[in-house]
Amino acid sequence: MKNLKIIAPTLREKNRYIYFQVISEEGEEFSYPDLESAVWNTMLDFLGEEGVSKTSIWLLKDSWDSKKQTGVIRCNHKSVQDVVASLGLIDRLGDNRITFKILKVSGTIKSIKSSTSKNG
Amino acid sequence: MDFYDLHLHSEFSEGESSVEDFAKRAKILGFRGICFAIYYKDRKRVDQLKKKAVEVSKKTGTDIFIGLEATTLEELKKLIKIRRDYDLLLVRGAELNLNRKAVQTKEVDILTHPEYERKDSGLNHTMAKLAAKNQVAVEVNFREILLSSKNTRSHIMRHIRENVKICKKYKAPIILSSGAVSHWQLKDPKVLISMGCLLGLELNESKEALSKSPENMIRMIKERQGKRWIRPGVRVIN
Repeated sequence: MKNLKIIAPTLREKNRYIYFQVISEEGEEFSYPDLESAVWNTMLDFLGEEGVSKTSIWLLKDSWDSKKQTGVIRCNHKSVQDVVASLGLIDRLGDNRITFKILKVSGTIKSIKSSTSKNG
Repeated sequence: MDFYDLHLHSEFSEGESSVEDFAKRAKILGFRGICFAIYYKDRKRVDQLKKKAVEVSKKTGTDIFIGLEATTLEELKKLIKIRRDYDLLLVRGAELNLNRKAVQTKEVDILTHPEYERKDSGLNHTMAKLAAKNQVAVEVNFREILLSSKNTRSHIMRHIRENVKICKKYKAPIILSSGAVSHWQLKDPKVLISMGCLLGLELNESKEALSKSPENMIRMIKERQGKRWIRPGVRVIN
């Protein structure tokens, strides 16, 4: 058996996708690994290892747009508040000062994509 | 839903950023209005801030209010006498006497971070009852959590959680604010609401703490600055 059998929908975790924008000083650039490490470190500091495990957080690398500085974080539906509050505690990426703006919280990635295409 | 952040410090008080930077950032993040708190030293500085606020408000379209923050009992007495001259009266919480005086004074709008630099929460059930009676909002300050870490942060959050619990029980108004001293510390309303939820508020209560409670205060500002208002509870009818 190569793959696990797909779990029943009632037992499956309900996902939420948090679409965010990183607002930084004009002209200052940061890399995706900086963002990824900042998110993980802050969440581990704030929620702890056990707390982070309950959020089922995952940063979707493919959805990071370096031009618009927008990205998507996936978590489960019960921990949206924990993840959003943790994002608010990030005020630096490397040497750059930043602020997170939460653009949308959605249950499907399709809805996030449609809003990104609307915003251009 | 309109959101308001009613406790910011610009370069006119202890802050680092200009009024303009704050207003622009507030607009980007989705705030309808902001309030700059200033410590009362001389009238000239307050007038300068007022003038700047009007100018920037017209330019950016963000509502800007001016709040005076009392740090001592003497200052509070002075500020009550000139209550009509500014929008909001904030009291910098920390000392127990000042916290108590703030919640029993009808002229006060916000008691800021009552647990600040204390080993307890700075608020008890008697004070919460008074705050509810006099409609003095108790602030949940995001900057305190942002700038602390490890055990200090956990103690601060525990104290804030206690205050929230007492305020909810006695129906004292609660407001959420970023307490920013730089426009980089200004946070998205959704972040403040989420933090409110983590500190013991329900989602709708958390939203109200950022929109309905500030709106009530803004309504009071307009009433207070009208010609009919004399003092809390007393106004000319005809």
